[in-house]
Parts: sequence; C-alpha cells; structure tokens
Amino acid sequence: MLTPIDLTTRQEGSPLGRTSPLVKLGLALGWLVGLLFTSQALPPLVLAGIALAAGAVLGRIPGRRLAGGLAPLLTAAASITVANALFGAANLDPSASVLLTLGPIRLTAEAVSAGLAVGARVVAISSVGVVFAQTTDPTRLVDALVQQARAPTRFAYGALAAYQAVPRLAQDLATLRQARRVRGLRRSWHPRLLVGLLVRSIRHADQLALAMDARAFGSGPRTDFRPIRWTVTDLVVAAGGLGVLVIVLGLGRQL
Amino acid sequence: MAEPRGPLSLIARGVSFAYPGADRPALAGIDFELPAGRVLLVVGPSGSGKSTLAKAIAGLVPRDIPGTWAGTLLVGDLNIAAASLAEVAAAVGVVFQDPGSQLVMDRAEDDVAFGLENRAWPLEQMRARVPLALHDSGLAGYERRRGTHLSGGEQQRLALAGALAPRPGVLVLDEPSANLDPAGAAALFERLHGLKAAGKTTIVLVEHRADLAWPLADLVLALDDQGAVIDLGDPVTVLARSGSRLGHAGIWLPGAMAAGPRRAPATAAQSLVAVREARFAYQRGVPVIRDANLVIRASERVALIGPNGSGKSTLLRLVAGLLKPTVGTVRLAGRDPVRLPATRLAGMVGYVFQDPELGFIADTVAEEIRLGMDVAGGRRAAELIDRLGMPLGRFGSRSPYQLSGGEQRRLSVVTALARRPRLLVLDEPTFGQDRRGWETMVEVVNELVGEGTAVLAATHDERFATRVADRRVEMADGWIVTDDDRDLQPRGTQSWHQVID
Repeated sequence: MLTPIDLTTRQEGSPLGRTSPLVKLGLALGWLVGLLFTSQALPPLVLAGIALAAGAVLGRIPGRRLAGGLAPLLTAAASITVANALFGAANLDPSASVLLTLGPIRLTAEAVSAGLAVGARVVAISSVGVVFAQTTDPTRLVDALVQQARAPTRFAYGALAAYQAVPRLAQDLATLRQARRVRGLRRSWHPRLLVGLLVRSIRHADQLALAMDARAFGSGPRTDFRPIRWTVTDLVVAAGGLGVLVIVLGLGRQL
Repeated sequence: MAEPRGPLSLIARGVSFAYPGADRPALAGIDFELPAGRVLLVVGPSGSGKSTLAKAIAGLVPRDIPGTWAGTLLVGDLNIAAASLAEVAAAVGVVFQDPGSQLVMDRAEDDVAFGLENRAWPLEQMRARVPLALHDSGLAGYERRRGTHLSGGEQQRLALAGALAPRPGVLVLDEPSANLDPAGAAALFERLHGLKAAGKTTIVLVEHRADLAWPLADLVLALDDQGAVIDLGDPVTVLARSGSRLGHAGIWLPGAMAAGPRRAPATAAQSLVAVREARFAYQRGVPVIRDANLVIRASERVALIGPNGSGKSTLLRLVAGLLKPTVGTVRLAGRDPVRLPATRLAGMVGYVFQDPELGFIADTVAEEIRLGMDVAGGRRAAELIDRLGMPLGRFGSRSPYQLSGGEQRRLSVVTALARRPRLLVLDEPTFGQDRRGWETMVEVVNELVGEGTAVLAATHDERFATRVADRRVEMADGWIVTDDDRDLQPRGTQSWHQVID
C-alpha cells in the first residue's frame, strides 16, 4: 500500500500507459465532477464498467491486479451503501414507501435507492482511481507535472523524494511504539509519538535537501532524462474519455 | 557541462569554521595540499569537524549550513566558498553517510541521471553515461531497480554512481560505510580502490573503518576534538610518528585494537530466554525469521552476528516481547513476553535501539532517566549517567534530541540499565562510534551490567563480539546457521541441516 506499484512492461507500453498522466488526472477529475450531476445508480456503474474495461484492454492491466486493487474499495462502497440506506433521512419521511420494518428500523425504498446511488459513485471513483494507479508510474506523473504543467521542480522532485521516505517513517513509528512499551509505558497511540516522528522527518528532510543541493539541484537550467511530449494518444484518450462521460450521463437523463 | 575533465587538486589554507552559538570552532586553522588524483583520508574523534570539512569541500558549508568561515579552500583554481553552486557542482561530487536520505528518484537509473539533469547534460550523453556510472559502482544491470528495495550497501553504491556520473574532479565521501555491514563496506571500498587506480578523480574520504580506509590513503589528516590538526602526512609516517597520540585522541588505527581478554563462558544453568521453532513474517511477506531455536541462560553474553537483513533485529524484538512470532513460542523467564504488561516487561528487559533517538520518550535528559522509574531506580540512573560522563547538572535540562550521537547512545544505555534488567538487548551498539564511544560500550557491558544479567547484542563488529561475548549465534537469511552454545556442541550444525532440507 505504501510502496509504489510495479507496472509490467506491458502496462507501461499500453495506450493508457503511454498517455500523459496529466490527461488521465484531468479525466479522473472530469469524471468526478460529472458524477455529481447524476443521482441515479446506473450511470456511475456503467462508467465504472467502462473504466475497468478500458483499464483491461487499453491499459493491459492483468485482471488479478484490477481485482486486487478494487477489492478493498468495493468493500468500502458496500458499507457506505448499507449505511446510507439504513440511516438515510428518507426513512423518517412518513410519505416514503416502506420496504421493511424491523423493530425501530424502518427501511424505505427512497433511502435504499439513495444509498445505492452513493455506493455506485464510490465504485465509479474507485475504478477510475485503480486504473489510474495501475497505468501511471509515480516518476512519470512527477515528470509530467514538471515538463507539461510547469510545476516548480523543487516542489515536485522534493515530493517524489519524500514519498520514498514513507516506508521508513512507518518503520520509525513502529520502533517508537515498541520503545515506549519496553520502557514501561503503554504502547498506545500517544501524541508524544508525533514528537519523535517529527524530529525524524525534519532530520530526513534536512539531509535530503543537502544531498539534492550537493547534486547541483537548483544550480541553473536543467535537462530531462525522461522527456515527455504531447502525443496523438493523449488527444484520443482525452476526447474518448470525455465523450463517454457525456454520453452515459446524457442517456441516464433520458431514462 | 559534459566535456571530460581530469582530477583536480585540493588546497586548504587556514580553514576555520564555527557553527552559530557553538562554544568552540568545528575547524581550527586547517592547512593541507592534495595533488590531483590522490586520496586524502580525514580521521578524528566524534565532533572533530571531519564532516564539516567534507561539507566545506562540497560547497555546502558555509553556503547551506551557515556559520563563521575563515581561510581559503581551492578545488583546482576554484575558491569554493566564493564560487556559485553551479561552479562547485561542476567540480565536486559527494556521498553522505546515510544511504536512505540521499536517493531522490525512485529508480536507480533515474537517480543517477538526477545529477546530470541538474547540470543540464544533453539527453544522448546522459543515456550513454548512466549505465557506465552504474557499472563503475558495481551495479551493472540495476537500471530499473527501485532504490528503496536495495540493501544499504547497494544504496550506498547507487549514491556513489550518482556522485560519479558527472565526472567530478573531486569526490567527497563523508563516512560512506558507517551504516553498512562488513560485506557492504568491503564492496564499497573495492570500488574506491578501482576509482583510485583509474585516476580519474581526487578522493576525500572521512571514515572510521581504519582497516579499510588507511590502505587507500595517500595523505592522512588527523584532527582532534577541537577541530585542530594533530598530524598531516603519508599514512606510514603519520602512523609511526603520531600513532599513540591518535589512539589517545580516540581515533581508530588500522589493526590497532588488541583482542583483549575473552570472557569465560557463563556457568549458570538457569534458562532465561527460550525461543522454540519461532517464525516471523511481516504481514503476508516472506518470513524474516525461520524456525529459530535459541536458549539464553542468566548471565550469558551472546553476540548475534550476520549481514544486514539476516533477521537479527527482528529476533531481538521477538525475544524482548515487542513482536509476536507468527508461529512458535518465545518465553522470557517462563512467561510469554508479548503478554507481559509494559511495566513488568520494562523491569525485565533493557533495550538499546540501533538508532537511540527512536527510544526517547521525554523532553529533557533528566526526565528521560526518571520517567517510569522508582526512587532507587532514579538514583541508580543518576549515578550511571554521571559515570558515563554526562552529569545531570550539565546535561539534565537538555533535550535528548539535541545530544550528539555518542551522547544519545550513552543516555539510551542508562535508561536500559537503571532498572537492573535480567536481559540487556543491544542492537548494533557500536555502529558509527569512534574509539572512545566503542570503549565506553565495552566497558558498559563488561563492568556495569550486573552479574546474572544476560546480554544479547546484535553486532557486525568482530572486535566488540570478541571482547564482550562468551557465545556467538550467527544468522543468515532468517535462519540461525551456527550457534556455539556449549549444550549444542555435539549436534551444533543441526539448524544448518534444516536449511538444506
């Protein structure tokens, strides 16, 4: 979870793998906004299916990876659906059509469909997220941000380097908690742990900044080892992705 | 930019530096001349300014780390303190101590290319140069590997490749092997010998490992703890002329440490720790500990040896009840240590972490040694810390995080010993220590640890193991491969057979 996904060469060389991460990021945001305009359950589910199909065919993501990435998110979506159906405001509405009464629990059709709509949106967002993560190397994302979106290099590469330190900080946290226990303190999530973690992070960041400067970072103009250019694929994927969104949402309205 | 350039000479004239607010200078009037293509070894006790000198040559002091600077440092004909970052970067490459915090990019080839991108090398030249730099650092074929997945030794050679790629005229290595196991350090120094033979760069090396470093040096600069020069000259002359003064100043010398008396094996028979068929895996990963069997008796002194990643630290945590075995059992004085309440556990086990900083729980030194301790324990702690040269009167109100590395380790030892634990666990207690720090640790284990207390120390340090341990347990790849426990002698290779099966 904390370490980056190792993309296969097939995934990297696929049409979605070759698409600029910025296009994929933009599309993901576009879909997210688009999903706000539907209150039905079906259109988000159709979009989720299309995203997953595109991931499998255009992204050449092995089915097992798609399923593995999606499984925890689907569980979340299911529990969100149930929670929304059970505690939906519609259950208190006397005019709503009752499906089930169990003691104090009153389940209405309106609350169930609202819950399903929310759950379906979570499924759609999760699917888009999994496809994005399974076709995008973090380094390529940062390269695209720097080269195509002109993000400040110190921010972008600093963030990438900090990302490498995450597993290490997780280890430090485990050790800090163990140290408390072996010193006779309860191994709870004590706020004091933050002090230790903060000291470590600052130290790490200092050393890293020094190491980056020692490697001539920020000494003048730089070149790119992994140049990224806009391609026809980017245009096709952008147009296709937006087109699919508009068509599905449009058809949803007609139903 | 990418034009080939040879090694550069290095000249220091009256170089002095003081950190803001420090009561003494880090460097006090350093003079030396190093011809192009030669190797300068800088030695000195902790706090002698060696690292400051390395950072000054790399152009980071006083640019990134401010303070009071005096004197001149010339790399070729470039005045480092006055030059621009681009000019310094064109001439000097650096490798730091901590392999983990100098890798910027995710993949090895990208990380090597990072320094070239920053120096605006054209793409074609970068593509040609990156594999060569990896090859020269012994990492041919590692292009697409992730830095975070490499061993410490490999990470350090990756950092070396990154520093070498731009063909620096001077290569600065600031304690490059301090965090490496013996095999990793040996592989690194093999590369440095190769670099020296190729003669393409001048090398400045700050290093504790005398046996590896001295044979590489053409010139040795020895500093004392005031940042002043003790001696300067070729290694043979310095060793003959000032060997004893260097040793006295707390500097490691090649082959200098007499083996010292080896401890007689403990005679007590009462078993304190019993690990049976223990296996441990993080989440669903490969096991880090495989079917370990280990019995430690009261007052035994056990050295746990083996390369980085062989499972030593994990075994220590299992024994101390900080991790629960996935399969098998661990008993500490007959109890399952994971189930012991923290206060009971703390009374039985003292633990010194590899990185003492991660073991601190309070804001001041005084609070650190008092926390969770009864009156008698608090008194013992105050006595101990006094004995280790950190009287509370002077250190009590300081923050543990602002102590030097050696002071942090001593504080950690005090907190571990003050409760008179039945088991003292030490994780790499001599890592990166100068000779004085090392001797303190030996003294602590041999004199301050009460009779009856068992010691389990994970260490790479052959000399430390010889001086303090009466038994050795060796690990490789998660297995206990040898154990010279007297009770195991007739079938001492048993666990090795399990590996083959």
